Amino acid sequence: MDTVLTTRHLTKDFGRLRAVDDLSFEVKRGQVFGLLGPNGSGKTTTLGMLMGVVNPTVGEFSWFGEIPNHHVRKKIGAVLEHPIFYPYLTGQKNLELNAMIKQCPEENIPGVLELVELADRRNDKYKTYSLGMKQRLAIASALLNEPTVLILDEPTNGLDPMGIAEIRELIKKIAANGKTIILASHLLDEVQKVCSHFAILKKGRLVHVGPVDDVGKGAETVEVKADLPDFTEVLMQFPGTASILPENGVFLVTLREDFHSKDLNAFLIERGVVANHLVTKRKSLEKVFLEILSEPR
Amino acid sequence: MLHLLKIDLKKLTSYRTFWVVCGLYFLTIGFSTASGMEFLKWLANTFDKFGSSLNIDRIPLYHFPDVWLNLVWWSGFFKVLLGIMVVISISNEYTYRTLRQNIIDGLSRWEFLASKILTNLLLSLISVVLIFIIALVTGFIYTPEINWNYVFTDIEFYPAYLLELFTFLSYALMLGIFVQRSGLTIILLLLSYMLEAIVKANIDDYFPWLIPYFPMESISALVPIPFYRYAFQEIQDYVDPAAVAIASAWMILFNYFSYLKLKRSDL
Ligand SMILES: Nc1ncnc2c1ncn2[C@@H]1O[C@H](COP(=O)(O)OP(=O)(O)OP(=O)(O)O)[C@@H](O)[C@H]1O
Ligand SMILES: [Mg+2]
Repeated sequence: MDTVLTTRHLTKDFGRLRAVDDLSFEVKRGQVFGLLGPNGSGKTTTLGMLMGVVNPTVGEFSWFGEIPNHHVRKKIGAVLEHPIFYPYLTGQKNLELNAMIKQCPEENIPGVLELVELADRRNDKYKTYSLGMKQRLAIASALLNEPTVLILDEPTNGLDPMGIAEIRELIKKIAANGKTIILASHLLDEVQKVCSHFAILKKGRLVHVGPVDDVGKGAETVEVKADLPDFTEVLMQFPGTASILPENGVFLVTLREDFHSKDLNAFLIERGVVANHLVTKRKSLEKVFLEILSEPR
Repeated sequence: MLHLLKIDLKKLTSYRTFWVVCGLYFLTIGFSTASGMEFLKWLANTFDKFGSSLNIDRIPLYHFPDVWLNLVWWSGFFKVLLGIMVVISISNEYTYRTLRQNIIDGLSRWEFLASKILTNLLLSLISVVLIFIIALVTGFIYTPEINWNYVFTDIEFYPAYLLELFTFLSYALMLGIFVQRSGLTIILLLLSYMLEAIVKANIDDYFPWLIPYFPMESISALVPIPFYRYAFQEIQDYVDPAAVAIASAWMILFNYFSYLKLKRSDL
């Protein structure tokens, strides 16, 4: 697997504030890389450095193993923070301008406009667009040069639920073509649905990086309920039980390693107990995110 | 190069303000230079005394070779309008944040600046060509006897005029890049001559030799005031090489400062 992006000790100071602190990570070809972190943790600043608009204080990065330059940026489609266009130009003209800058054929324009469902508004001035339409135009512009890498900073900001679902499908579709995507977002279940890898920033520092699949690993938790007065006792007798936590009439049973919910179910049936509620709780990215951020550092 | 110019023109040609300001500028310099003689005739007819005390046909305003310098000097006053347009164009890129997006989309910072500089050059060139054509035509109309030895004398003021415009627009662009807000930049641009005059007045007693090195002074010195020749018979009918050298140095510095600022700032 070849490397698309490498950063080494990337650091950015704004005056006395250290917005990004000693960031080193890699993104490989084909990854959908989620960049997470609370507000002001340095996501946009990081992406700004990678796209040449913010000068790093210390450190370096390389795209496709090359020293970064503006030719490389033409191969990357990027929307940082919010859509930026010339308000007095129409959507169509804005894209024509982008095509000139990216040096890609104007024939790509109808296709991307179709994709984001703006074709019928293309001759309206950008300033008359709604927030969601602006957002869509930005995505169209990022896709214009058929980029091998796509950088999206909160791309679903301001979209309606249908729009959000569409963007999610779009990201999946693009990723399925082997393209690399770097996605900064606060919507953690979105990230969990589309991303293959993720990194968490906290006050500019990288506090976690790894595959999304690892999130679900580790001890399993089962939510179980049965109409039995001494149900706790029964649960205690199950050899896989690590701890029991009663909560709103149900019991949250954390299992020991190598035990799964179906083992618990089999055990209950063996004991003649019928559970009227049994749900496996997988760890969500959100939970991991909050856990990692609450760790003192 | 042409590609970069096309990018900037694409931004401007759909922008109404661009057409309004540039239209105003070109119409003003075009009409005012072309109609000077008609204006004098009108004055002479309206105020009888004026006509009889001065035989307007003998005022060589539009005679070859005087016409070259006269028209260029006159239209030089209106370059402020072009400067305002340049300021609006660059500060829009900051307020709309499109400069940032242009870089993200794959222009280098130098290319972005070059696209603006090329537009400056184009606007200057159009002005020069326009005034040249008007001077040529009016010269043939109003010169009583065409003496071919004189027709193309003094035409060196046209490259000087080009340098004057281009240096001034480079200055406007640099101000825009440093200040980034159109209102404030335009005020500074308009005040530049006055601020410089105040400084000059204060150092006049101590370092008079410094005066020609001031930027606005050097820009004005490229095309000297023509009327001295009528008042005092004192003619400077050549472009001062020192003024060219100083103005060229400023022109390079202005664009270089713009480049440095653009390169170093976070967008
Ligand atoms: N141009 C700037 N000048 C000064 N400080 C800045 C500048 N840009 C960003 N910062 C600061 O850098 C820090 C990181 O900001 P950044 O925009 O990268 O955060 P973020 O992770 O994208 O946040 P959000 O989730 O809210 O988008 C913040 O504290 C912010 O105030
Ligand atoms: Mg951000």
